[in-house]
Amino acid sequence: MTRLLWGILAVLLMACGSAEALEIELPQDTTTYRPVDLPGFPLVLQDCLTCHSSQYVQTQPPLSSRQYWDATVHKMKNAFGAPVEDADIPAVVDYLVKTYGAEAFTSPGNAAR
Amino acid sequence: MAGKDQPDASRRGLLQYLGAWGLGAAGLATAPHVSWGSSILQETELPFKNGHRTLVAFPQKRPLILLSNRPPQLETPFSVFGESVFTPNDAFFVRYHWSEVPTAVNLQTYRLRVSGKVSKPLELSLAEIRQLAGSVEIAAVNQCSGNSRGLMRPRVNGGQLANGAMGNARWTGVPLNKVLEAAGLQAGAVQVTFDGLDHPPLKNSPDFIKALEVDHAMDGEVMLAWAMNGEDLPMLNGYPLRLVVPGYYGTYWVKHVSSIEVLDKPFDGFWMSHAYRVPDDPCRCVAPLAAPVATRPIGRFDVRSFITSLTDGERVRVGREQRVRGIAFDGGEGITEVAFSVDGGRVWREAQLGKDYGRYSFREWSAAFKPIRPGPYALMVRAVNRIGQSQPMENLWNPGGYMRNAIETTHVVAVREGA
Repeated sequence: MTRLLWGILAVLLMACGSAEALEIELPQDTTTYRPVDLPGFPLVLQDCLTCHSSQYVQTQPPLSSRQYWDATVHKMKNAFGAPVEDADIPAVVDYLVKTYGAEAFTSPGNAAR
Repeated sequence: MAGKDQPDASRRGLLQYLGAWGLGAAGLATAPHVSWGSSILQETELPFKNGHRTLVAFPQKRPLILLSNRPPQLETPFSVFGESVFTPNDAFFVRYHWSEVPTAVNLQTYRLRVSGKVSKPLELSLAEIRQLAGSVEIAAVNQCSGNSRGLMRPRVNGGQLANGAMGNARWTGVPLNKVLEAAGLQAGAVQVTFDGLDHPPLKNSPDFIKALEVDHAMDGEVMLAWAMNGEDLPMLNGYPLRLVVPGYYGTYWVKHVSSIEVLDKPFDGFWMSHAYRVPDDPCRCVAPLAAPVATRPIGRFDVRSFITSLTDGERVRVGREQRVRGIAFDGGEGITEVAFSVDGGRVWREAQLGKDYGRYSFREWSAAFKPIRPGPYALMVRAVNRIGQSQPMENLWNPGGYMRNAIETTHVVAVREGA
């Protein structure tokens, strides 16, 4: 009988708990930028991963142009506050278009796998 | 290398079940602590280049199509829409703009602040909000502005989604106008802004804040909801309280709402003045790759319809009749007619509409399909709403890749019995 009462109490506490708070644990982000021997590679690790995972880049249409990546990096800096130094922008753009964009030798889909 | 662009056949279409998953052990004494499944479960190929995705089970979610981890962006596998007219909470899509998302919310300390041009600023607990007025329920579709962006031609950069960034739920909450009336709108109120507990990781980034015209905010339909489909909101869908803006794109459905501010001038924040804008033209479109002359904030959904009972590439039997089923919806006029074609849009027949759950809900439809000869069939569906709006054959184009509503085609192949 005591055990039954404790059981009911535990259920009540759990019911109260679920109504009073919620906590979750998000999965680890296991993706990262593709290591390539270009000066922009350490820069994207430093400047881009703070705000978003690398999937933002990896999932773009494969033929995204240098113009697109240039406009995007400028937008990240100017509109979104990304900590990219002006002097680093050309190298970052060069890495992105050659690794994931129109100037890549393999498709970004392959790079991600 | 074009050959490597395609995944190998053993991978494509094959749902790889690589491991078991489960909900985590209990955490804090008062808070259910839900951790994520430990392994990647499945892979899928969305129907556009570079569409390879994994399916991952986030907390309170079944395995969904992972677009990004930080911030969490999850697309609903399309087969879910064939299972029920209301999208289960654990399958409902997730879209955030900034990676600092709340992972713990305690209702003892959670407050909704109402401030600005009000006569009585408020700080309300969820319990107080729930008691403010009688609760209401509405069936409404939530759809991401960029739903289907990956299918846009020409391609548009941005979140590369197929058709699964939408869902239909019964939302329970209190009408927003009751909350604003409790605070007392002052004369000259023009817009109302909404901010949630999700924030950018850097201080100089624009926080995700959205605005509605005051008349819209007061229309009695816009709602602060604490439940969907009869249960507390999942964390990733806005626990404990989110804005529900029936008929409008999901960008306005601010999650984890913590601050409402009434303004006496239009809000000029980034997410209204620079993002989520469409060409200021009745079609919300421009010629492909052109720049719009003028833009305006995105608004109501256009008309859409889908086949949900058959998937692209599926085989059907010659001579066997089946009911093809699907869904249709629009921005709130209500779907009045659905037409179905089995020959790529040459001949259209009227489909039968299913139960009406209200003008903001998915509307189910069905139509008979009996292939009389073997070979390919291009199945199409097209909906019309109460004011005669419908869907174009080819997608209309805009630089954001928003509002795709082209007529979708499902290709099936009829084979003879025993083939």
